Amino acid sequence: MDEDNNKFNRRNFIKTAGLASGVIALAGAAGAGLAAGSNKDSYTGWGRTAYGEDQFFNRKPFLVDTPTYDKVGETRRIAFIEDLFKRNGELSRLLFPRGDETPLWSFDEGVEKLPEPLKTYYLEHPDALGEFRKAIEKSQEQAGTWDKYKHKYLLADAWSTAHASPIGGQGAFPPQPHGNPEESDFRGVNEETLPLKSPAHGSSLIKQIAYSFGASLVGIAKVKEDWVYQGYMRGVGKIDFEVPEHWKYAVVIAVPHEWDSMYANPTYGTSYDAYSKLRFIAGKLEVFLKEIGYAARSHVPPTSYEIAMPPLAIDAGLGEQGRHGVLVTPELGANTRLAAVTTNMLLEPDKPIDIGIKEFCSKCKICAEECPSGAISFTDKPENVIRGYQRWNINQDKCFTIWNSVATSHARGCRVCLAVCPYSRKNNWIHKIVREVDPRDPTGLFSSAMLAMQKKFFTYPGGQEYLPAPDGNNKTFGEAPDWLMTEEWFNI
Amino acid sequence: MFPNSTILGPLFWIVMGGLYTISFTGFYYWITDSIIKMNWWKWLLSILWFLGLNITIAGGFTLFGEKEIRAGFWFLSVFGGVFIVLGVGLWRLLTSR
Repeated sequence: MDEDNNKFNRRNFIKTAGLASGVIALAGAAGAGLAAGSNKDSYTGWGRTAYGEDQFFNRKPFLVDTPTYDKVGETRRIAFIEDLFKRNGELSRLLFPRGDETPLWSFDEGVEKLPEPLKTYYLEHPDALGEFRKAIEKSQEQAGTWDKYKHKYLLADAWSTAHASPIGGQGAFPPQPHGNPEESDFRGVNEETLPLKSPAHGSSLIKQIAYSFGASLVGIAKVKEDWVYQGYMRGVGKIDFEVPEHWKYAVVIAVPHEWDSMYANPTYGTSYDAYSKLRFIAGKLEVFLKEIGYAARSHVPPTSYEIAMPPLAIDAGLGEQGRHGVLVTPELGANTRLAAVTTNMLLEPDKPIDIGIKEFCSKCKICAEECPSGAISFTDKPENVIRGYQRWNINQDKCFTIWNSVATSHARGCRVCLAVCPYSRKNNWIHKIVREVDPRDPTGLFSSAMLAMQKKFFTYPGGQEYLPAPDGNNKTFGEAPDWLMTEEWFNI
Repeated sequence: MFPNSTILGPLFWIVMGGLYTISFTGFYYWITDSIIKMNWWKWLLSILWFLGLNITIAGGFTLFGEKEIRAGFWFLSVFGGVFIVLGVGLWRLLTSR
């Protein structure tokens, strides 16, 4: 009888313990989820970068022979004046010459009085000049209202300025090239070059070295003439040039912005954190290549480029171009910033990938809906033909006007499109499932379901809300990190 | 899970494994003591349901951890609701003769 009773009690005990264990396991699942969501280790690019562990997406199933951009006509190189910063720089030098010199041109004189190539450009793009004028006006307004915001955004502004410090001036790294690329790219090159075992060895070595310098993603592409700017060469000046023969390959590197500040765009984020990282990585890679006997030139942000980065990165298999014009990579989403080093070292190029970004972007449109400047296209399919390639094209001039409108000390930029992109998510299990399943679903149903959830579940302030009053309320997409919130540390 | 420890993470999952084992053992005893007749697909559905419930809860709390509070509540409400409905359906299936 006692034995039966014990058996009964033991059985009942296990039944009760089973129920309790089930409840505790559910609580454990909640705790594990909470930890996965808040874990800083799941911010790609800020953890095991030095060992290449941040390039975790298996690209093999998605390799393609032809890149995903569409060539639809005769192609040509990019004139330097088509680059917003180069163009604005040229115009600014006329409007605001150094010292007390009188302006060399004013808006009242009209386009006809502009020097070439500005004149031709603005005759072909009449709206762009008006937009630039608006940007200047907004910049002056911004300077006038900064007093209202300077305490609130003190830490964000200081953080941004600190990151910008290695970018300009005499202490800039990498230093600007001097002279023709045939001189400058070979300056300091070790005269002794050991025989390389194979191009594949070269690629593996350079990738590992780039990772060790801090690159999150690395890819290698042949330099394609279409991506090389025409009309301006650093170290030489305004000049038409052929693509130098020794620019055989480009080592393309990518890093993300610091994630929490990136989500808190436009007022708390900055471009300079990623820019300064890229400059150190690319600059050091340039030195490394020269030390082992190869010519090298780094192409780094914000404006020290001879090559357009996004298409080069597509060729290098890092990702695809999104609706917002920014490269979308499987690991970093749109939170991807790029630099490259051109070299004559014999390397094995990577293949481009197709993970269905174009199809995804054709449905998503969140970046276009959230863009404070309305610069991003809403068309279902890419309709613009840019230099022979069909793609979505952002209105750079409108975008720049907003750079000058947000509540920052000066034109610090706006990265809302990077922050709101559904691909710009942490590397935790829930986003990893989406990241892995979406490109493998040929029906597109999975991405449609995920997008429906994305738009219903998540909070989007709406384009105008990112602007200061009276147009908006200085909203940010994500909550600002406490270490950038002045009120957390100072009495204001 | 435990960023400053290399041992607590594995220990946590060992404990979780133990909890799942005890809960399934308890469920097994409870089922065999009841009038419910189980077969392989009923066991499979029951396990999948419990697994799905765990993933739903983990998913919602992952979003909370990302400070996406609204998304976390939506996730728990929608998928939690689905799993409650599925649970009721499953119960009726298990107890039907």
